[in-house]
Amino acid sequence: MCVAHLNQAASDIFAMTMRQRIVPYLLLLPALVLLLVFNLLPTIATIVESTFVISLRSGERVFAGFANFERIFNDPIFWKSLQVTVVFSLVVNPLQIALSLGLSMLMNQRLPGIGIFRSIYLLPVAVSLNVTAIVWRLLLDKNTGMINGILFNMGIERQPFLHSPDQALWSIILIASWIGVPLWSLFILAGLQNIPPPVLEAAKIDGANAWQSFTRVTLPLLRRVLAFVLVADTVANFLLFAPILLTTQGGPQLSTNLILYETYRRGFLYGDLGASAAMLSVMLLIVFVIVGVELYVLRGSD
Amino acid sequence: MNAHVTRRARRNRKPLRAYLLPALVYCLLIIGVLIVVIPLMWAAAASFTPNHKVFEYAYPFSWRALLPVDFTLEAYENIFARGFGQSITNTLFLAFVTVFVGGAANALAGFAFGRFEFRGKNALFMVIVMLTFLVPVDLTAIPRYILINNFGWINTWQGLLVPGLANSLVIFLFRQFFAEIPQELIDAARVDGASWLRVLWSIVLPISKPVLVAAGLLMFISQWNSFFWPLLVAPRQELRVVQVEISLAVGQYGTIWNELLAGSMIAAIVPILLVMPFQRYYVQAITGTGLE
Amino acid sequence: MQQKKVALLLVLLLLLSTAPGFAQDVTTITWLSLGWPVDDVIAEFEAQNPDINVEAEQVGFNDLFAQIQVRLGARSPLPDVISVDVPLVSAYAFRNWLLPLDPVFTGDEVEDWLPAAVNAGSYEGTLYAAPVSTSTQLLFYNSGCFERAGLMPPGADDRLTWEEIAEIAQQMTFDDDGDGTPDVWGFIWEQMVRIYQLQVLPESLGGAAIGEDGLTVDGVINSQEWIDAFTYYYDMFNVLNVAPQGEEFWPADIFETGNICMFVGGPWNIPRFANNADLEIDWGVSRHPYFADGVPATPTGSWHIGVNANTENRDAATRFVHWLSTGEGAEKWWRDGSGDFPAQQSVLALFATEAEFDALPMSYLRTAADEATVNPRPRAVTVGFLEYEQILQNTFQDIRNGADVTESLSLAVQRIESEMAKYRE
Repeated sequence: MCVAHLNQAASDIFAMTMRQRIVPYLLLLPALVLLLVFNLLPTIATIVESTFVISLRSGERVFAGFANFERIFNDPIFWKSLQVTVVFSLVVNPLQIALSLGLSMLMNQRLPGIGIFRSIYLLPVAVSLNVTAIVWRLLLDKNTGMINGILFNMGIERQPFLHSPDQALWSIILIASWIGVPLWSLFILAGLQNIPPPVLEAAKIDGANAWQSFTRVTLPLLRRVLAFVLVADTVANFLLFAPILLTTQGGPQLSTNLILYETYRRGFLYGDLGASAAMLSVMLLIVFVIVGVELYVLRGSD
Repeated sequence: MNAHVTRRARRNRKPLRAYLLPALVYCLLIIGVLIVVIPLMWAAAASFTPNHKVFEYAYPFSWRALLPVDFTLEAYENIFARGFGQSITNTLFLAFVTVFVGGAANALAGFAFGRFEFRGKNALFMVIVMLTFLVPVDLTAIPRYILINNFGWINTWQGLLVPGLANSLVIFLFRQFFAEIPQELIDAARVDGASWLRVLWSIVLPISKPVLVAAGLLMFISQWNSFFWPLLVAPRQELRVVQVEISLAVGQYGTIWNELLAGSMIAAIVPILLVMPFQRYYVQAITGTGLE
Repeated sequence: MQQKKVALLLVLLLLLSTAPGFAQDVTTITWLSLGWPVDDVIAEFEAQNPDINVEAEQVGFNDLFAQIQVRLGARSPLPDVISVDVPLVSAYAFRNWLLPLDPVFTGDEVEDWLPAAVNAGSYEGTLYAAPVSTSTQLLFYNSGCFERAGLMPPGADDRLTWEEIAEIAQQMTFDDDGDGTPDVWGFIWEQMVRIYQLQVLPESLGGAAIGEDGLTVDGVINSQEWIDAFTYYYDMFNVLNVAPQGEEFWPADIFETGNICMFVGGPWNIPRFANNADLEIDWGVSRHPYFADGVPATPTGSWHIGVNANTENRDAATRFVHWLSTGEGAEKWWRDGSGDFPAQQSVLALFATEAEFDALPMSYLRTAADEATVNPRPRAVTVGFLEYEQILQNTFQDIRNGADVTESLSLAVQRIESEMAKYRE
């Protein structure tokens, strides 16, 4: 529809037609050039790098085809970290979305003082992931951590949290969700507020109980915003590595060695750019496929 | 109308249930608030505590852990003596330039994507904007660093700034918002012979307050919280940013916990102060990305 | 009209990109280091060398290594001068990141450095990083604990065995509030999970740090010596329960508050405790422990300083490195800079002559100065040190928190061997 209007306007002012055509390109120029140079080129360079092997001694780059990929595919550490990433994603995404949905429903209640609650729930969104990770690392410590202090007062024995291979990944999920749940519930809350109250009233009149009106009215109307949250949340959690760097460094016993952290470690600490770039390429491929599948499954019928 | 009356009557017959639901909602909300607030209260209290007492009341837990009972400003004095003030000024400067210069570039691009039909539009959008959105910037830092190095921008303001000016999420946000502006508004101005920049400036921007605020906050917060890139590209003391300054509290033979937390508290309070008053816009416009 | 405004915007963007140029006779060099107090030292150097301006770039300990990796890996000319953790010298020299420094120093200057430090700063016979500091480790103890347990504390020149440490630590671990977790712990290593401090455990038993080729770890770090040494380590945390798990504390901090009775740590703690006016505990030091069936072995190694091979200010950079690592500059650095132990024998000798070190507790630094020269065990010389160190650090952390010793060490072998493969081609 935009097209029709613009063409109309353009033909009215026929003298400007030529200039008209270049206007959008001029408008795009600054931002797209910046994105191209500082984001897209480095991405392409990283993917290209995955087909090169660098002689560590001389710094010479030699084209190596799929040698880096072969190397990581034969590396049990890579597979282990892929496995950890899959488990992490399968838990953290549904968990965060369910909790965000619940929180946003709570915040959507028309009750006195709800504005104060909404403001408080904004706090984690404004705190950086680095600060969050550091504070939670201290809170979860086995000896000095406050969470264990609270458990002790409740008569529960100390938990190792980040130091136990059975609990560390859960602790990371907790840290990621402390920011994630309030953030995503903001989106869902806005979606809820866009549902006209009469629609829900109507459902009630039709005799729907709370659960039925939730599943039959609210959820379908939230489809779009939930689709966005699902995709954005999946991407964000796949790309998580700063909290790992600041807390467990992949341990204990590789139980939190998410693939992106392994990628970081190979490239930025060990200087193995080929392997790191290969891992990143695999990662990107996986993210694209998953996001594509999510978008396909959730595609609008309207 | 009839139904309305019946419902009211039903409610009157079950006052208990009418109170039960809000009570439950409040309970759940309060549990959530505790989860949000307690970590922050502990961190804030610890930042006002002498370093050796930081963990004093955490285990076993006592309410003293959440209040600065051994109050001292030592941590704050120390970090400011070391140059924390300078890093705040630096980061504020970077964040404001990003918001205004980057905001302008992103708004123009968002306007082009939202209001124009042109050859290659979808391709440009999918490849440049969406792709760059999906790629973790930190993990592609090495080629970006080499590029900046070739420009001779290491340890310069432009090295810190320029790579972060364009922001695909913000372009996306602007596109969604601009696409929904009624065409009539724009047509009217165009027929009067106004240039596109004039249309953008005097017609579009005045009605775009929510998206401007939200985009500004997003850019401000992302620049304010940036750590990895500034550390690489501008480690020189005069250019140090807040998050890098905080990381210096982690030393080889010890971490000065109260200083680490004091820096973190200052780092957190600035975006909080900014987000709170603009909360409504922030939520409004952030959903703009989600609803289309 | 609109093009003009767009053009104006672009010009603005371009204006941002014009770097402020420096045009003067003073050469500016940048020095990448940790957050040490460098200002006085730099001021002194600049006063003596008015044609050189030194800019300090400081980063946190956890960030330094990635910083060097990216910047030198990109063949960047900056930073000109780099503080190098000494075991990484081989890794950096192997990658041709550091300038050979042999021509910069006279024979006498090289002779003045501790031989272990010169070796550690060299790769394949060439010096790549000049020794600035060295280190050693001592046993620190809280005299009150010994009194409470009815034991006699060791003398400054005594050397306890690890077996004795375990025995004493059990008698000095107290659970005062009866919650099942000690409030006063018997023992801890200062750098609980770092190879720097733990490598001497297997070495005291006769084990090696790495294979002859500097790459192989299979058969080395899963040898009986390593298994025995780290079973001892495991037991201290998990069986005897005399050493605290968890991470969020630094041993010197809880030593000061009386919550730990003994720790093995560096001499930098001596001035720290000596100058702490609020310190309520009585403390002392003795020599670094060893295994009864083995030999004394004490950690060593610290910070060296090197020049970026791609620097554009080679002359100024080497002059600064020379100044800081020898003579007057080295002495200045020791007094006002890092607080670490000096690597120059002439500066170490000042401990014996200066009155400041005549009386307890500062005189403990004389013990430390001697310990630094008697049984120093540098870390493994390998081009893959960073991988080796990081993976072992993960491994020790796991063992400390209760993972099976043999299994953890085999996992470490698998991981390190996989990383070392890239150096074998």
